[in-house]
Amino acid sequence: MPLLKIDNAELEVESGITVLQAATANRIEIPHYCYHPALETVGSCRMCIVQIEGMPKLQVSCNTFVGEAPPDKKIDEKYDMVVHTQTELVKQGRKNVLEFLLLNHPLDCPVCDQAGECFLQDYAFKFGNAHSRFEEEKRVRPSEYLGSQIVINQNRCIMCTRCVRFTRQISGTGELFVQKRGYDFKISALEDQPLDNLLAGNVTDICPVGALLSTDYIHKNRIWNLHEQPSVCQDCSVGCNINVFYQKDRIFRVSPRENHDANGYFICDIGRYGFHRFEEIERMTSPMRRDEEELTEIQWDEAIKVVAKNLSDAKEKIVFVASPFHTNETNFMLGRFQKGFFGALPLIEEEGITYPSGFSINSDRSPNHRGMNDVCPSILEDMASEIDQQNIKVMYILDDGVDRELDQEWKEILMKMDFVVVQSYALTEVAESAHIILPGLAPFEREGTVTNDQGRVQWLRPSLPLKGKARPDWRIIMEVVNTMGKQELSYSDVGEILAEMGKCFPAYEGVSLFRLGDYGLSINGKVKSS
Amino acid sequence: MATIVTSYEPTFWDKLYFPALLRGLMVTLRHFFQKKVTIQYPDAKYIPPEGYRGLHRLNKYPDGRIRCVACEMCAAACPSGCIHIVPGAPPWEDGKERYPVSFDIDLLRCIFCGFCEMACPEQAIELTEIYDFSNSSREGLWINKDGLLEVYEMTKDENYYMKKSHEADLTSG
Repeated sequence: MPLLKIDNAELEVESGITVLQAATANRIEIPHYCYHPALETVGSCRMCIVQIEGMPKLQVSCNTFVGEAPPDKKIDEKYDMVVHTQTELVKQGRKNVLEFLLLNHPLDCPVCDQAGECFLQDYAFKFGNAHSRFEEEKRVRPSEYLGSQIVINQNRCIMCTRCVRFTRQISGTGELFVQKRGYDFKISALEDQPLDNLLAGNVTDICPVGALLSTDYIHKNRIWNLHEQPSVCQDCSVGCNINVFYQKDRIFRVSPRENHDANGYFICDIGRYGFHRFEEIERMTSPMRRDEEELTEIQWDEAIKVVAKNLSDAKEKIVFVASPFHTNETNFMLGRFQKGFFGALPLIEEEGITYPSGFSINSDRSPNHRGMNDVCPSILEDMASEIDQQNIKVMYILDDGVDRELDQEWKEILMKMDFVVVQSYALTEVAESAHIILPGLAPFEREGTVTNDQGRVQWLRPSLPLKGKARPDWRIIMEVVNTMGKQELSYSDVGEILAEMGKCFPAYEGVSLFRLGDYGLSINGKVKSS
Repeated sequence: MATIVTSYEPTFWDKLYFPALLRGLMVTLRHFFQKKVTIQYPDAKYIPPEGYRGLHRLNKYPDGRIRCVACEMCAAACPSGCIHIVPGAPPWEDGKERYPVSFDIDLLRCIFCGFCEMACPEQAIELTEIYDFSNSSREGLWINKDGLLEVYEMTKDENYYMKKSHEADLTSG
């Protein structure tokens, strides 16, 4: 293993990695624009220049590889490579690079949506000159739409070509290209082939400046007003890691969070813009009871008493419908009813896509299908026929939410029921057939864990406050179970349920919110409970 | 440690009281003939000096368009967090790409420090000389975009209170 010295740090690194990778892994900052760990290196921005002993000029660290030096060529008789990132020469070099990058870059940070998270802004402040010597007219060009959701401000572009490489290597669609050369360069897409693939939103994240902008977020808010909550995407069973940017009770943006065990660096546009569909729904904010045809508001105590009484009266002729859209904790709590049948509505499946880079969108559009199967008592394969055979008339349904469309068969089954309880956050098709609706939480309000299709348990953190009288889903079930009087459950948060879950299901043993952290834990390799 | 306090023992002259009273009245009498420092406030208005920090205004360009680009620098600089802006796309095609859809200031929270006008890159927000804008409700002291633009119309040409006194002269004369 070559011994590398960067400034004062001695690092033993693997042969064949670049100086920039070695520095970043050891938390030494080398500024860079065009280099992105997921993309091919081009070394075009020249921002990552460093001084390497024995080399006549400054070298780009993103494209200089560390290797073993022959024994007689070692520096100080032990180092294979000595790198300086803080010498006057390097500092002056960075200043010169930044001066060129800023020649035609407009000074419009106050109206630029990237301001606050812009690398050009940060590096110009840290490494650049305070004043510009450029007295000529700046190049002014109009903004253009590259796709239906992506707009490019040509003035701000610094030509790092990250977006072009992204469409060629990650999405494999290659819509973007560099048009013309030198002073007249610009990033373009052909008119008949716009940037409209399902990964297009990622180019706005990887753009180090404010050139590529999403029409969904443009001019909506400033980044310093928003709170950032690490969470997990709930739009398919891949379980992409995301950051939710919200202010008060509104989500403004969802961006990908790096996790090499789940999604890598990117997310798809389904998850990126998916939060909008929860904005328009009419939220269920208090318990409802159906009297004749009308739904009327009732108090929580009353609702839970009615539910508990009807469930007790039905003896064991009840179907509890678990949901792959709910967290492990809620589904586990449903299992605490113990006596009855457990089922689930059919999977919501759409087209699955796998991109050449390996990034995939799963056909199973529920976030927690595997977790639901793990933590619920055996789920019936053919629920419809079982209901007929056992003459079941009572149902307790965890609602899948706004994505669920009921087919005719299920509508008929629900019509036949004497008593249906639905735990839902909106008046969905399932909820419309309910006798009692208990208001649970919407996707961005829930807390708990979800297990993706690869068996990685991840911490789903809430970003929005509770609305109205809605209560966490696991708490509602706990209260119903307690009111039925057979058990005394007392969990005060999801962490306690998770600990209890570990006792019941060996696969989840030792899983805690603390251990899950930002990146989750894999439960593969452990014995799957029956 | 105890401190010994010796109290002042009044003399005979002090005990008379009248000489001290008269001396006090002499001060009153002297000021009676001097130039007055107070004004008859609601009838006569105090005219603040240049640079006085009073009610805010939002400036316009000569063509009537609002200068503000909703960059929220003022809201970021504001120490009391009283500026609330909702940005959006402008109603016109050419020109500025950002536009304040709404611009509210909570005057009860504002401490009139003037950081907002210093932070503004467009010289859009300014503090004017207007100091009397009391209201009987809390809601009445939320000033919105239209209100701020109205303040601009009232104060753009000359000092608000000078104009007021002219108007008063005209009506009375």
